[in-house]
Amino acid sequence: MIRISKTIGTVLIFGYAFLFTPIVFLIVTSFSASEIPGIWTGFSLKWFEALLEDSDLIHAGITSLEVACISASGAVVLGVLAAAATTNSGIFCGKKFLSTMIVIPIVMPELIIGFSLLMLFMAMESIFGFPKERGIMTVTIGHMMATVAYVHMTVRSRLLSFDHAIEESALDLGAAPFSVFLRIKVPIISKSIISGWLLAFTLSLDDLVIASFLSGPGSTTLPILIFSNVRVGVTPAINALATLLIAIVTFCLAVAFCLTKKRKKGPY
Amino acid sequence: MNKIPFILVIILLAIFVLNMERLSQPRVNIYGWYGVISREVLSDFEKETGIKVVYDVYDNNDSLEAKLLATNSGYDIVFPSFIPYAARQFNMGAYQKIDMEFVPNIKNISGGITDNYKKSGGDIEYLIPIFWGTTGIAYDANVLSKLFPNEKIDSYDVLLNPEKAKKLAKYGISFPEEYIDIFLQTNVYLNNGKLEGVRDPKLINRYIDCFKLIREYIKKFSSNTITTDLISGEVCIAISSSDTAWRAKRSGKYVDKDIRYIIPKDAGILWVDCVGIPQKAPNKENAYKFLNYLLRPEVAAKITNYSGILVNVPSSVELYNEEITNDPEICPVDNEIISKLIMGVPNKNLEDTKYDKLAARAWSQIRMGIFTHIEAVE
Repeated sequence: MIRISKTIGTVLIFGYAFLFTPIVFLIVTSFSASEIPGIWTGFSLKWFEALLEDSDLIHAGITSLEVACISASGAVVLGVLAAAATTNSGIFCGKKFLSTMIVIPIVMPELIIGFSLLMLFMAMESIFGFPKERGIMTVTIGHMMATVAYVHMTVRSRLLSFDHAIEESALDLGAAPFSVFLRIKVPIISKSIISGWLLAFTLSLDDLVIASFLSGPGSTTLPILIFSNVRVGVTPAINALATLLIAIVTFCLAVAFCLTKKRKKGPY
Repeated sequence: MNKIPFILVIILLAIFVLNMERLSQPRVNIYGWYGVISREVLSDFEKETGIKVVYDVYDNNDSLEAKLLATNSGYDIVFPSFIPYAARQFNMGAYQKIDMEFVPNIKNISGGITDNYKKSGGDIEYLIPIFWGTTGIAYDANVLSKLFPNEKIDSYDVLLNPEKAKKLAKYGISFPEEYIDIFLQTNVYLNNGKLEGVRDPKLINRYIDCFKLIREYIKKFSSNTITTDLISGEVCIAISSSDTAWRAKRSGKYVDKDIRYIIPKDAGILWVDCVGIPQKAPNKENAYKFLNYLLRPEVAAKITNYSGILVNVPSSVELYNEEITNDPEICPVDNEIISKLIMGVPNKNLEDTKYDKLAARAWSQIRMGIFTHIEAVE
């Protein structure tokens, strides 16, 4: 067992308290019977019931899930292809350039991504007449753009430790390059693909900035709704919703974590 | 493992099909304030006409303006605040003319508010003044009766007088985020009850001097969190709009807080939110139907009872809940009170725009605690 000195223990406790007190407080108060958020007056599940009856919140939740699902799937396709290209042992000029460029959205402020995409869509609309209006599709494209980099990173780090002998022996045995990719590479790295998908999903689910730039009729996502809600005074239904969201996000992250963790034990 | 991509594809296709179905229905796209129009009102409209209502929300006028001025917002109905937003957007040609033939209920909105709106330069053919309310002072009566036992709180003196503000500082004072919500009142306060030279740039420096004395007592500048702040005890007094104060008052009862709202005698401010149809609205006919529906007295009353915001349909007053009619400060039905309210003046020309810029700069300086005088720049 590792022994921890008292000082380090105290620092550790403060550190965890700093990180998790607000979240624990929020979760606990979501089970309160009080009409005002943040006050404990007794245990009740009524705010979870109220949440189920609030069609606006549910609708926004579905929109958010929809956007997150589609954008994560798109980001995975692009991210995996990009990662395969940048780690390919063959000659591909511009490999360095691509692998640098693709991580830029990580360091670029979301504000800039959102605004530049808005400008682009506006210009496209006046030139090509497409997209006709902003909505779920434009938000999805924005999220896809922002999350490709994360998927790429996850998958790339897996591919870097990929044993190219396997690939080469498959080629030697007569498999076409494309079917090597699809039938050998993808199954082996599938865990990192899934964790990349979950990461993209989570990031998309809580994005406010890009969504508020690119949203149009019928594409109010959960973060936008909650943010607008603050003006009217939040009801504890929002706490209940936040508790559910934290549960979903924690679950996704836990799965992603476990999948990346397990990888090391396996033969590959 | 091989089945996962297959399942994913099916899910995506299902989502896509559901989306297509949603798009093919006749619909009306509305962009409005959060918490003003209840779901009930919207679904009644859906049931009656078979038109699907897509209702998106914003929490400040800037979000709306950004969407409107970006070529094609895709919305059919929007609710901008009249001053300065709707007036400015109107000047930029963001709205289309409403064909009153399709909105017969427009006859319901005649009254004091509409007259005020027209006097301030509003054009009812483009933007219908639909919601209104006042800006006044919301405060925690328990705290203030302790601090000022023998005084009646009825004017801006309590906030703008340094001695009084100092006493309140310990319990928290909240001021608005934007200059529009405060400079008119300051003007009246400094001129002993009269509004003089609304857009006189020289006055700005007097405002700065006035706030120099009380800035240190102001705890926060926020327009969006007043309800929560008052109830949690973060602040004890705030400049607030009447509907926000009404919500704070209602929620305050749950935690034994006696939140009250007053329209200050010296400077009660009238604000109006309009409803308009943006240029290039994709579903104009449906928008007309929805407008006409909104202006029905019984629908108007439902909105007021739900949100505390007053709808400019005078005949709906009889249908208000007692909770609202019993409070003349929140719901001033008396024409005499209404006629005393002050309304800002929308900007019309370049001079006005210059003033607005100066005022905005002055206010952000004040917020940061810088009190250097502003020189009029060309």
